[in-house]
This record gives sequence, structure tokens and C-alpha cells, in this order.
Amino acid sequence: MEERLNIASALTDATLTRPEVPGFSYDPIAMIPDAKVIKLGGQSLMDRGRDVLVPVLDEVVAAKERFKMLLCCGGGTRARHIYSIASDLEMPTGVLAALGGYVPRQNARMVQMLLAKHDGIFILGDDFEKLPLYFRLGCIPIMTGMPPFGYWEKPGPEGRIPANRTDAGVFLSAEALGAPRAIFVKDEDGLYTDNPKKNPKAEWIPRIGARELLSLDLPDMVVERAAIEYVSRAHFCKELQIINGLKPGSLTRALEGEDIGTIIYQDT
Amino acid sequence: MSTLIQDDGRTHLPSMLMKESLVDKRVTAKTDSEHELSILPQVVLVGIGGQSIFDRGKSAVLPLVAELAALRESKIPMVVGVGGGTRVRHTMAVALDLGLPTGGIAQLVGAMEEANAVFLNVLLAKHGSIVMQRDHFWELPLYLQSHMLPIVISIPPYHFWEPPSEGGPLPSHGSDFGLFMYAEVLGMERIVFVKDQDGLYTKDPKKHSDAELIPHISLQDLQKNMPEELILDGMLFEAWKEARHVRRVQIVNGLKPGQLTAALAGEDVGTVIVKE
Repeated sequence: MEERLNIASALTDATLTRPEVPGFSYDPIAMIPDAKVIKLGGQSLMDRGRDVLVPVLDEVVAAKERFKMLLCCGGGTRARHIYSIASDLEMPTGVLAALGGYVPRQNARMVQMLLAKHDGIFILGDDFEKLPLYFRLGCIPIMTGMPPFGYWEKPGPEGRIPANRTDAGVFLSAEALGAPRAIFVKDEDGLYTDNPKKNPKAEWIPRIGARELLSLDLPDMVVERAAIEYVSRAHFCKELQIINGLKPGSLTRALEGEDIGTIIYQDT
Repeated sequence: MSTLIQDDGRTHLPSMLMKESLVDKRVTAKTDSEHELSILPQVVLVGIGGQSIFDRGKSAVLPLVAELAALRESKIPMVVGVGGGTRVRHTMAVALDLGLPTGGIAQLVGAMEEANAVFLNVLLAKHGSIVMQRDHFWELPLYLQSHMLPIVISIPPYHFWEPPSEGGPLPSHGSDFGLFMYAEVLGMERIVFVKDQDGLYTKDPKKHSDAELIPHISLQDLQKNMPEELILDGMLFEAWKEARHVRRVQIVNGLKPGQLTAALAGEDVGTVIVKE
């Protein structure tokens, strides 16, 4: 029997079934650290239509000479409709994730049409490696917020809603580019102790560590749990900022680095 | 049913999840049920090791190809995936040294697995195999109905969006996990991994002479006492805990002719891990 035809490398005999590499110090480089990765909420912005979305996009256009912005869209009520029907039909989580992906792509195309005259371009995940070109040309790339896991989305312990939706996907886009902070534009001032739309006693949290937040085990949050978990162990993107897109000027202030809204940061 | 609801400034489509926060545990619990649809039950997923089988070349690969061709004749519905092997390790070693981010490493490794899928297809084409593009997922019924042998890309499409791993820089969603999820989402109950040792051992048998083979174990018992050196991705076992469909993961020795055939016939060869 022939032996394995190995290529000699630092990992030739490593087991590789876990992420650890014993005895290796890892110092990764950031790809586009000055990119501003911005999430436009689905239910919170897109489903509110023109009155809310257009002023936010006006702020994007006004800031386009100063910042490299990647816009990523959420899903919203049509994604909820898909998840409802698919879970009623008892379909697997991976199918929900794949089907749910259609809606944020539609939203990204809508935003592209609105921004076309300001160099807005619709991009796919496969275009990620072309971002340097788009930024150099002064374009505003617009893509889905959904990560590409699709059918490969893991089932969770309870229910069928995919754990990695557009919040997680947008955060991972920021992490992949090496951006230190991701900006989520929603319709609340940030994170509260419970859903402020349902619970008037919910209290606003201006700043909190990701691990601390997860340990509070809040019944409801403005951002996906998976995204908060990723904040806790990211290499680059160590802050997730949630701002209120209904308040004019919020996005501009956030782009300028102001700590408005809620900041969820990497704690130890 | 189709009336739009616009009472709070947002435009809603009526559904069970309308206006809801999908983060709310009280809401997500409502989407649960005991049963889950099996999309393609009865199909068995066969995962062939990259380093363990492919990198050995002709002497290991050709007997296995002959076995797969015979199994295809017997019309057992199966889907085959292959690992990337030593070139994946080399890719990762170079990428780590260069300091590429975890998502960047995940973006790179799939190419080596795809190359091995093409290798296998070159050998099996005359027996009716076909390499499936990832986004051609829904052509699978066509190939299965016509008794072809679909070969799938095993690495999952996490790419640049690979979540930061716990405990180290390497992507945690590897090819064993990818094949596991392929089976799980399609409602398959059985996976057979073909490697170059008789199954799962208490330690890596290539490094420790006192390693003992585990012939049969439940997932629950395995997780209580997980071996330090695993033959399959750790993430596979994490995902399996919450999985609804996969019942049996078997690891057989592809260097021993007939083991794969025996496993597909339902025999307990190699290591059988079951979820009860």
C-alpha cells in the first residue's frame, strides 16, 4: 500500500478537526480596516418605506466622499412570512435559511435602484474580493446581509428560525474586512432590557460587553444572539453599534465615530 | 390573508411572525414541532477522506472506485463527497503564516476539495457519476432517479463569512461538517465516512500504539468522553446534537475492500455512532 503523499508543512501531521493550532502564534492582517459596514434594517427601515429609508440614504450619499461604505440589507416582514410558512410545513432550518435569503437580496436591489445615480452597485458575496475596486471608483456597494450558509445553516435547540440571519451576516462581513466596528441602523435607540415596542418599562442600555449581555439572557433583543457571540470572539470587529435611523443625523454621527445608540463591545 | 397592515409606520404582511422579533425566544419556540419534513430520505451520504484515501493515489483510490461503481450498479441511492487532503493543510499552513483572516482561509480551502471531486469524477464518469455545482442542489432528484452517482463539494459555503472560531484561528466548519449538514438538511439518516483506519479510536492510532477502537457508541456517550484527537470535525458533533434527521454516522476503512459495501448494506463494520 502506498503511503500518503503528504506535502510538508507546519500542519502536515496536525489533526485539524478543531480550530486550535498548538504552538502557533497567529497575527492576522485586516483586509480593508477603514471600511464602514452598515446594516439597513429590514422590518425597521425597509418596511417603513420612503419616508424613513430615503433620508437615511441621503445621509449615505452625503458621506460618500469621506467613507468607504458597504451597505448590507436586512429582510423584514416578507422574510417573516417565508419563515412562518416554511416552519408550518415543518421544513428544516437550512431550507428556511436558504429561502429567507431571497428577501434581503430583493431589498438590496431596491436600495441599489435608489442609489444608482450616486454610484450604488448591487454586489453578491462572490464580488467581495472586488470591493477595493468599487471603493476606489467611489461606488457604494450594496449587498444582502444574509451570510451564505443557506442549506448548511445548523439547526438550533428550539424552533426552526435560522440562528445566523442578517445581523450575524453583516457582522461577519465587517469581521472579514477587518473593520473595527459594524453599524446597524434600526428603528430604536439601541438595545433595551426587553422589547421596547411591547414592554414600556424596558430600559435603554448605552454600552455593554458581549459576554455580559449574553449572560443576562434577556428574553428579547434588538440584535441576533449569534452576532453578539461573534463580537465576543472576533479578531477585528470588536464593537457593534446600533443606532436609530428614524432620528436624522444618526448615521452621519455614527460614521464620524460618535458613540451614539448602543455599543456592544468585546469584553473578556 | 393578503391585506397589508400599516398601523405602526411599517408595512406588514400577515403571518404568525408578523411584527415579531425573531430574537424573542417566546416567538421562536412557536416555530418548533416534533416532526420535520425529510426531503430525500433513504439516500446514504458517503464521505471519502482526502488525506486518508485520495493522497495515497492509485493503490487506495482505484479499489474504492471499483467498489463505488459496483454499488452504483446495485442502485443504492447515494451521494458522494470528498475531502481535500494534504493540500488543504498546506493551504492553511501558508495562509496562517501570511496572517490571512479566518474567513479568508475558509474562502481558500474549498478549491482543493473541488479538485478532488473532479479527480473522482474523472475516474467514475463512465459509471455515471457527475460533479454537482453547489447551487445545483435541486438537481439531485434527477440524478438519483436516473441512478447516477452525484459527487458533491464537501466544504460548506461559509467562505469569508466563517464565524470567528473558538480556541484557534482555523475555520471550524470543515468538510466533514459540510457533508453532515448536506445529509441533515435533506433528511438523510445515514452517513458513511471512508478513512484509512478501522474507525474511531480512543486516541490517534497513528501516534499511539495503545489506542483502542470504539466499535459502537451512542452520540451521548461519545460526548461525555470525547477523544482529544478526533477523526471527524469537532463541529460535526456539535451540529449533530441539535440535528433532527441523521441517526447513524459510520467510519470505515477504505483500504480494506468490501468495508464500504458492508456499511451500505447496514452491517456494523468500523465504528458506528448512533443518535438515540
